[in-house]
Amino acid sequence: MDLIHPHSKADVAEILGEASARGTRVLVVGGRTHMDKGNPCETDIELWTTMLDELVAYEPAEMIAVVGAGTRVGDLQRTLAEGDQEWPVDAPPEATVGGVIASAPASPRRLSVGAVRDSVLEVELVTGDGRLVRSGARTVKNVTGYDLHKLVAGSLGTLGVIVQVALKVRPRPRVRRTVLVRGGLETAARLLERLPLPAAILATSETTEVRLEGWAEQVEEQTGAVADSAPVIEIRDGAPFPLARPWEGCPVVAEAAVPPSRLAPLLAELPQAWGALAGVGVAWVGLDGPDGELSALRERAAALGGIAPVVRGPGGLGEAALPAMEVHRRLKASFDPAGILAPGRFWGGL
Amino acid sequence: MADVDAARRALQDALGPSEVLSDPLSLALYARDASMVEGSCALVAFPRSVEDVVACVRIAAEHGLPIVPRGSGTGLAGASTPIGDALVVVTSKMTRILEIRPEDRLAWVEPGLPNLELATALAPYGFTYAPDPSSQQTSSIGGNVNTNAGGPHCLAYGVTSNHVLALELVLPDASLVRLGSEGPEAPGYDLRGVVIGSEGTVGIVAAVCVRLTPLPPDVRTMLFDFETVEDCAATVSAIIASGVVPAAVEMMDHGIVVAAENFAHAGYPTDAAAILIVEVDGTPASVRAQSEEVERAARAHRVRNVRVARDEAERALIWKGRKSAFGAVAQIAPHYHLHDCVVPRSTLARVLAGVYEIAARHQLVVTNVFHAGDGNLHPLLSFDRRVPGTLERVLRASDEIVRLCISVGGALSGEHGIGLEKREFMPLVFTDDDLAAQACIRTAFDPEGRMNPHKVLPEGARCGDFAMARGTDAAQAAASLPEGSWI
Repeated sequence: MDLIHPHSKADVAEILGEASARGTRVLVVGGRTHMDKGNPCETDIELWTTMLDELVAYEPAEMIAVVGAGTRVGDLQRTLAEGDQEWPVDAPPEATVGGVIASAPASPRRLSVGAVRDSVLEVELVTGDGRLVRSGARTVKNVTGYDLHKLVAGSLGTLGVIVQVALKVRPRPRVRRTVLVRGGLETAARLLERLPLPAAILATSETTEVRLEGWAEQVEEQTGAVADSAPVIEIRDGAPFPLARPWEGCPVVAEAAVPPSRLAPLLAELPQAWGALAGVGVAWVGLDGPDGELSALRERAAALGGIAPVVRGPGGLGEAALPAMEVHRRLKASFDPAGILAPGRFWGGL
Repeated sequence: MADVDAARRALQDALGPSEVLSDPLSLALYARDASMVEGSCALVAFPRSVEDVVACVRIAAEHGLPIVPRGSGTGLAGASTPIGDALVVVTSKMTRILEIRPEDRLAWVEPGLPNLELATALAPYGFTYAPDPSSQQTSSIGGNVNTNAGGPHCLAYGVTSNHVLALELVLPDASLVRLGSEGPEAPGYDLRGVVIGSEGTVGIVAAVCVRLTPLPPDVRTMLFDFETVEDCAATVSAIIASGVVPAAVEMMDHGIVVAAENFAHAGYPTDAAAILIVEVDGTPASVRAQSEEVERAARAHRVRNVRVARDEAERALIWKGRKSAFGAVAQIAPHYHLHDCVVPRSTLARVLAGVYEIAARHQLVVTNVFHAGDGNLHPLLSFDRRVPGTLERVLRASDEIVRLCISVGGALSGEHGIGLEKREFMPLVFTDDDLAAQACIRTAFDPEGRMNPHKVLPEGARCGDFAMARGTDAAQAAASLPEGSWI
């Protein structure tokens, strides 16, 4: 397997142009932190984006940062911290910004920060056949045509290589507190109902972590409200969220997504290796292997109107009937006409 | 060749005779939206169900009629202005709330439902629908989806795209698909995200699943007034720099303050050069903390008076002045042309000075009321189009204003869209390859070009293999509208 490290957008365009001409299949790689997401696919070369790590523009007063797609999330967050801001996406520090956008993992703080795609204002993409195209704008609002930057979020490197992005960033909360309480999903649901504006509520089988972020006075106020609703085990300031990831040690981890009220039936018969985001409908589920248990989880998720792609270990995305399959096919054919970008890695065999 | 008569009969059979209009008065009424562009259409249909929408698209396709989706017709860029023998599909009779599910923080609604009616219906559940365009009393959720509508409260809450979980779309081939998911993630490419803001060019939105946002427990609305526009604009940046993201930061200049005050009697200071309406929300403690920071930023920039709404009635009054501003300008002149550009926040004062200069040079009255926190400008030119030569001056000034915004790194449109009015400006901000990529996305949905032709992309932008032989001269802007339309 050849590893290629382009140093510029032009390099990427040249490499992909040539790969398309020769039919060389390309796997796009960032920080290798989300590579397990996606169906198995055969490729001939790996294109690493990690050299595309330029800080193009950052004005704290605009709350926008423009960076090369290979920028490490940790480096970006450090730069933003100097302006007292953050990219409101939770991802490992060694992940690249482009990789996070392409794989679109759910942030544990999703309740308050939203989806990864919500923070992507502009994308520069090199298409499968080597053309550099831009979509969006470096402004927080923008309605100017068709949002290619929406399509590439979560596209797993099957439509092109993200080379540069403009991100919507936000002030760093003054105080970040985790309140650990006794009780699982039911407790989490009660807290969601009673607690004004929590940053996140993560339930596990026995305990629930409530994340509070904001002004000092506000976090105090909310902490009181938590204590009124559930028995507090521990209060930690400034700690990473979540404190515990019981699913982490398992050979296979699925990131299930269902309408929020259906988390309980989804998780009812599972062992203890899971964590679920109240009010969001995301659950990370640890499994022993990619076989029976995973199929059962996926069947249950599908019956509840959701999905359960694997994000760690083998197992792929799973089967799902894509709506508007013809539209999907035409998009793939337009942006990757030679079909060289991780063929078969995406949903629907795309 | 379009067979209008056959299409009319088929539509009458499918929808009922009263739901299809073809008399000259109706055709004239639906030949334009709230923009300055006038077009023409052959038929107007009013579906009442998803099945009706499917029937409209099928029949139009069978008889060769282009389809123009329309909600409440409040669009300002001409996206719902039909061209040629079009069938205008009006969703204004599809206004039901189908389902509210607080436990899933979602609601399904029909596309014609007015934005404000949704927010009002959700309030008893402790939720709201966050996007609140100034047109919210009239504009529909389906229309909001198609323009990725914003509103004053986007600064903290985001735009329509952040608040729509799923939608049912009738594709140009008359098939019905559900895009997105009631859950947080959907399989496949984010087609939902593409439909939002696509201005009716990829299909007709037949149902919308919106995300519910919890109503904040506390809110404080403040009004600041300044002796100079510069101080007012600088306060906006200072607020953001202080680490506060207010729910809304709206700026109004002297001219619009006077007009709005005459109309709404909100107690606005009519001698101020500019005013700022700032709203912060959250828990009571966070509202206190944010208010202090905001006030400090305003005082550092020589604010003259600080008025804090004491109760809900006063808050509503302050907002009434802001939201009725566009209606109030009728006092200045009978016609207006409203712009929509986004610029970096830090350039607001400079761009406003430029806008005043452009208007003065073209002897036009300009007023400004806009989403300052987002850098989303809405310069409003007031005029009387019956005075010979006026419209030409308006168009020249408009052209210059758009170019000014682009020159400082801005976007062509923040919330109104491209429609017909701005499509020839697209090459100012996008390369041929960028536009070809956009054309590919559109073509993927609508390979035969049935849906809302001529809109959004400039003539000549084709998917093909990105190879475009295009001679669009952006200088022709606004003047080069499609045949059959006129301003």
